[in-house]
Amino acid sequence: MANITIGVLCCHYTNQAGEEDFRGIPGTVILKRYPCSGHIEVADILKTFEEGAEAVLVAGCEKDKCHNLSGSLRAEKKALGARKILEEIGLEPERVRFAFLPRLDTGPFMEEVKKTFETALNMKSKS
Amino acid sequence: MIIAERRPIPKVLKAIEPYEKILVLGCRGCVAVCSAGGDREVETMAAALRLARKLSGRPLETGEATFIRQCDPEYLAPLKEMVRDYEAVVSMACGVGVNLIADLFPEIRVYPGVDTTFYGANPALGEWQEKCRGCGDCILDVTGGLCPIARCAKNLLNGPCGGSQGGRCEIRREVPCVWHQIYERLSARGELDRLMNFFPAKDWRPAGHGGPRERIREDLKMG
Repeated sequence: MANITIGVLCCHYTNQAGEEDFRGIPGTVILKRYPCSGHIEVADILKTFEEGAEAVLVAGCEKDKCHNLSGSLRAEKKALGARKILEEIGLEPERVRFAFLPRLDTGPFMEEVKKTFETALNMKSKS
Repeated sequence: MIIAERRPIPKVLKAIEPYEKILVLGCRGCVAVCSAGGDREVETMAAALRLARKLSGRPLETGEATFIRQCDPEYLAPLKEMVRDYEAVVSMACGVGVNLIADLFPEIRVYPGVDTTFYGANPALGEWQEKCRGCGDCILDVTGGLCPIARCAKNLLNGPCGGSQGGRCEIRREVPCVWHQIYERLSARGELDRLMNFFPAKDWRPAGHGGPRERIREDLKMG
């Protein structure tokens, strides 16, 4: 099977999962961390696709837990903006996933990473 | 300010179809303030174009720059040198910027990266509303500061039409009837007498119907 690459964009406070945690993912994970998920731009998401990701997870802290109050809400909107652009250029918008996650809880974070990998796998099998 | 919005990516892709290396050029004036053509949007547009072209098997190289303004020759001057490395420019400025580049540098192939829409205010984050049509013959002194040219779908000058119902415009229920607002405003101030004089048929020449407008101030010209 061809190597599958996914992107994970999140803030330092959302999760600090490392190489060890991603070992169970049978593909490549491009991990980008930001001081706050509100700092993630549409361009960052698109660039991750340029780098070869088949799907990208944008993860932010739960709505009322954002260190900067509204960062993760902004991140959710950026994910929607990236989806819109993907659609315009003929890619499936569902390649961009967004999740509000409990801070520093690796379990739910890895669940979303796995779902993103499944999305990537589906997309790859379609293409 | 001048309000603009990002052009659909397929339209931009079509315009730059022949090229392999383009410059995406932003403007830090109005279009940056309305989040359509500043640094951030330049980065997004460039990334979107590169990704689309990568998918089509014809990779695109992009350069990114943002000028303070694209509506002044002095700020556009560096473009002449900068553009030598590129085959074309996608300008994220309003139509004024695109036109001025085309005027000043006939050799540069320039294409719009935004659609320029209207002169508007920014009453809340993520909201822009048209407030002025630039018609060249202001009547705001009579209408309580509320413009029926920009804010009435029919540009009526002497009161509301029959489509004004309950203070709302028939075009869309969420649009207030500006003539209703004008009446309420002047009535509250005891200034309804301002509306006793009829406006004659409007001369649209200063609004641009007499051809492209220009303004010359000899006191500011040098040489």
